[in-house]
Amino acid sequence: MKRKLAALEKLDADLPALQHKIRNDPPSYRDDFVNQYSQYQSLYELFEASPTTTDDTGIVRLRDLVDFVSHVADCYPTLTKAFPGQLIRLLELHHATLEAELRDKLVGSLVLLRRKEVIDSQILLNVLWPLLISTPSKSLRALLFQKILSDLRTSNNKTTNHKLNRSVQTTCYNLIASNPASPKGLWAVKLTRELWKRQVWTDGKAVSIMEAAALCQDAKVVTGGVRFFLGGDQEREEAADDDSEAEDTVDVRKLKHQAGINKKSSKRNKEVRDATKKVKRQEKKKNAPHPLNFSALHLLHDPQGFAEKLFQQHLQPAQPKVKLNLDQKLLVLNLVSRLVGLHKLTLISLYSYFLKYLSPRQPSVTSFLASLAQATHSLVPPDALEPLVQKIANEFVSEAAASEVASAGLNGIREVCVRQPLAMNETLLQDLVQYRKSKDKGVQMAARGLLSLYRDVGAEMLKKRDRGRDAALKLRAQNTQEGGIEAARRFGQVDEGGIEGLDLLEKWKEEQGLDEDEDEAKGWENWDAESDDSESSGGWINVESEGEDIDVSDSEDEKERKKDVEKAKKQKLPEAKDDEKENVDDAETTSRATASLEPEAAVKREEQRISKLATTRILTPADLTKLKELQQSAAITANLPSAKRRKLAVQAAAANAARHADDAVTASDIAGLAKLSAGKATKEERVALARGVRDGVEAEKNDHRSTTARRKEKKASEGKSTTNKEKARKKNFMMTLGKAKRKGKRSLVEQRGILKAHVERGKRGGRKGNKYVGATIVNLGQEGWVGGWYIKPS
Amino acid sequence: MGALTKKQKEKKSDFKKTKLKVGKTRPKNTNATDTSFAAKSIVLKQQNLGETGRDATALFNHNLSLLSSKSETQRRDALQYLTSACTTIATAKLPQSAAAIIAKAQPLILDGNSAVRGQLLKLFRSLPAAQVGSLDQVLLYTRAGMAHLSNDIKLFALDILDWSIGTNADTVMSCPGGWIKMLRTFQNLLAWQGDTINGVVTHGKWSATKSTSSKLGSNKLLVHQLNTLASFLTAAMTPPPSDPFAEAKRAAQIFPLLETQAHLLPAKSNTFGYLNLFGAVRDLEGEVYADADERIEIFNELGLLEDFRTGTLEAKKEAGEVGRAASGVDKALRLAEIG
Repeated sequence: MKRKLAALEKLDADLPALQHKIRNDPPSYRDDFVNQYSQYQSLYELFEASPTTTDDTGIVRLRDLVDFVSHVADCYPTLTKAFPGQLIRLLELHHATLEAELRDKLVGSLVLLRRKEVIDSQILLNVLWPLLISTPSKSLRALLFQKILSDLRTSNNKTTNHKLNRSVQTTCYNLIASNPASPKGLWAVKLTRELWKRQVWTDGKAVSIMEAAALCQDAKVVTGGVRFFLGGDQEREEAADDDSEAEDTVDVRKLKHQAGINKKSSKRNKEVRDATKKVKRQEKKKNAPHPLNFSALHLLHDPQGFAEKLFQQHLQPAQPKVKLNLDQKLLVLNLVSRLVGLHKLTLISLYSYFLKYLSPRQPSVTSFLASLAQATHSLVPPDALEPLVQKIANEFVSEAAASEVASAGLNGIREVCVRQPLAMNETLLQDLVQYRKSKDKGVQMAARGLLSLYRDVGAEMLKKRDRGRDAALKLRAQNTQEGGIEAARRFGQVDEGGIEGLDLLEKWKEEQGLDEDEDEAKGWENWDAESDDSESSGGWINVESEGEDIDVSDSEDEKERKKDVEKAKKQKLPEAKDDEKENVDDAETTSRATASLEPEAAVKREEQRISKLATTRILTPADLTKLKELQQSAAITANLPSAKRRKLAVQAAAANAARHADDAVTASDIAGLAKLSAGKATKEERVALARGVRDGVEAEKNDHRSTTARRKEKKASEGKSTTNKEKARKKNFMMTLGKAKRKGKRSLVEQRGILKAHVERGKRGGRKGNKYVGATIVNLGQEGWVGGWYIKPS
Repeated sequence: MGALTKKQKEKKSDFKKTKLKVGKTRPKNTNATDTSFAAKSIVLKQQNLGETGRDATALFNHNLSLLSSKSETQRRDALQYLTSACTTIATAKLPQSAAAIIAKAQPLILDGNSAVRGQLLKLFRSLPAAQVGSLDQVLLYTRAGMAHLSNDIKLFALDILDWSIGTNADTVMSCPGGWIKMLRTFQNLLAWQGDTINGVVTHGKWSATKSTSSKLGSNKLLVHQLNTLASFLTAAMTPPPSDPFAEAKRAAQIFPLLETQAHLLPAKSNTFGYLNLFGAVRDLEGEVYADADERIEIFNELGLLEDFRTGTLEAKKEAGEVGRAASGVDKALRLAEIG
């Protein structure tokens, strides 16, 4: 009896066991819980009375009880109403003096209560956030930050919790805005950056927090904010990629196979089910549309104001409020120039600021050059840039300068001029182009880059013999045609766009020799008729009969088209221009790329590009349909192999153009070719290069092994066995003898059968192939099932 | 996700061949700090045991400090010394006041060792009752002990409560929470919750039979609890003996005047404390209920009387020792009815 009693008592004292029992049946164990809870209450009161003098055993007991109560608090909501409040009180009053383990337990218990929805996120974050800001303990800060982050993530898991997000964002913003000089703002920056990375916060409010951080008066907070704008989006993309990569791939087939062979049990069944579910989920995730997230730079409320403030606060004054070191200054400068370049802002004083830093002795001058290039765009007045270009040329590019310096300078100048070609004057350009004769390879290449740029954008500034054939032809054509008006680009000039495929339409019209007026009249026939009977009307039939493969009878299409035409009629010219704008890039790149291939054709095409078809007359519905058809056929011809090469060139050009538009310029871009002029490589480097070793990974090409060995390895890495060929080759000679003997003695009929079977197998696609060939089945000549097909001879 | 990749990395690293270096390891720097401590605190198993060459006061203080010693025997011996000192030395000549001694000794109410606890009770009994001072800390520890997991400590805590009621009933009642909180503790211990109807506990749809004496062993604890409760209730609800001549005495004292008491400055401290003008909002349980009438009133108001009466009835039915103890409680409860 006594032993039994002891055992039972022990069980009662065992909190985890009691916790388990309560979970299963809360009402029955109410009394036990009440006992424990009152024990907790008296310990809590004791602790309250003397928080510092409570002994170890008391603290340990309190910790265990807090853990226990928080685990089962959701079973007795009325009894434990005061519990969360007590925990919060303990933390708020005594967090500085609490024993570390108990303190962590209190935080963990509060989070647990939040997970059990005893308290809501708002309350939890209102407790944790002030603690994070005020506590002197590093480990507690780390814990709190992690808990806050995970709570925000979980509460945004299924749907975005706008209310919570807004309140936390406001807290973060206020933390920075209320006291710009305090380093506490770093926590707001950290939290925002982390949540941005995980795509929990993707809105303008998060960006405005970072905006405030970048403009505050603590160096660390400022750099945190600036770094976010420069790298936050990239980090977000990488995190998204990581997420998709890191997922475990499950082999469902293997699992199913195993389940078929092994003893059946509900556990194995469940495993298979879970695996299929997981695979489905992964598939779904893979196929899910990419979330449309704007980059932080695009979500800025007032980029001009932001850039101005950044510049005036951190860079311009000789004695700024925040002391930033060179690296931090460079970061800020990078952000300002990025903003200026991206949003085409006007910040004239920025350019004169650069003047001081453009000398080869300036540390990390390539970053300054990159920033300068970034800050340049087509709307910067050339007067502001000209002295800068001149200074770079004077300081960097000379015979006396080291080759790396010269190539960096030339690259810098080129990057500036790509964005604003008018920043260059003729004499300087002609002087710089001379460096393509330099002995150093890096300088040579840089100068060539500049030359080819100006052949494209301002050939008339080059000397005649430097222009090259294509550029000269183009120039001549322009001169003859327009009387030299278009020869020089003017400041603020914007390329006009074109309707894609308009040249095709014009050409087609010429070929058809259609009378313009008559055609137009026909095209407008019935344009506003009901879509249902439109097929019977003349204007539409004409088009249909010519383009059979296009389905135009779709009523929705019709309506849309009608609307378009209506619009076109109302707005005539401006509408056409709008359409053109959308395709500016394509048209331009096409024309540019092809120009280099065949100059004659280029001239002709240029003519067509500025064709006045769209501006002189209104496109009828029939015209638009034809346009679409012509575009499609053109796309088909473009896919022919002969056109593929051309297409690749166009794509490359487009990629190049895209790079200049939106991406950042880095210091390595500027330093770029300096590697070439860095002197001879050592023997090891050369050997490594020849062997194709890049970053320690041997390239496939220079692997000194037999083809078979490499194939074998490939198979092994895929988790497969040897190929059939390999097996055949390895077969024991004695086993092949019998067949070989028999082979010689086959009759002609046998031989024929074998050959026939072989041919048929080939058609079917191997022994297991299910590629049925109609002819062989019909040959059987009888009704019945053949390989899963029911055959009925006709 | 991070955890997953980490795990994978760990798995992979298991199969990586570690490169073995040939030769000796680099000698440690001369100024390197040894950081291979395992213990976070240093525990002294034996504390200064020499008793020679000290006067009585120093020895007394030394023993008082030994109450928080890690070793059980040392604690017990210190208690023994203090007890003998308290009994032999005259009250006025004690080096420390009784209140100070209690403050130092009270954590031992929850001590795990029964010998230490027994000695503690002896020490408490040896202290002069008049000098004990405020008991609220002791009551806190007592309540913690009453709700303790161990039966021994539960019993001991009841002993302590008996002692405090026996010596300083008024002080117990004047502690914040000394009345209602204590009653709630008893209620929890005896499971005399309000939602019991005819001995059947109902929670939602389910019902379970209540178990006042659910423990398999003897009902010694229950009997003790009931006895202590009875004495507690009696002490709390018995009005102080009124002196029939008190009125006349006072009138004689202040002869020419009438009802001066009402116009004088109050002699009690914090007279208007009951208005609670400046303090934090108090709850009913933490309140001080100064006299018996107030206590009876709140006892009825909270419906405790009903609960206790049902509980007592149940306990009475068990008869035997428990029934006898319960009838004691019943008698005490009658005091509340009158009031």
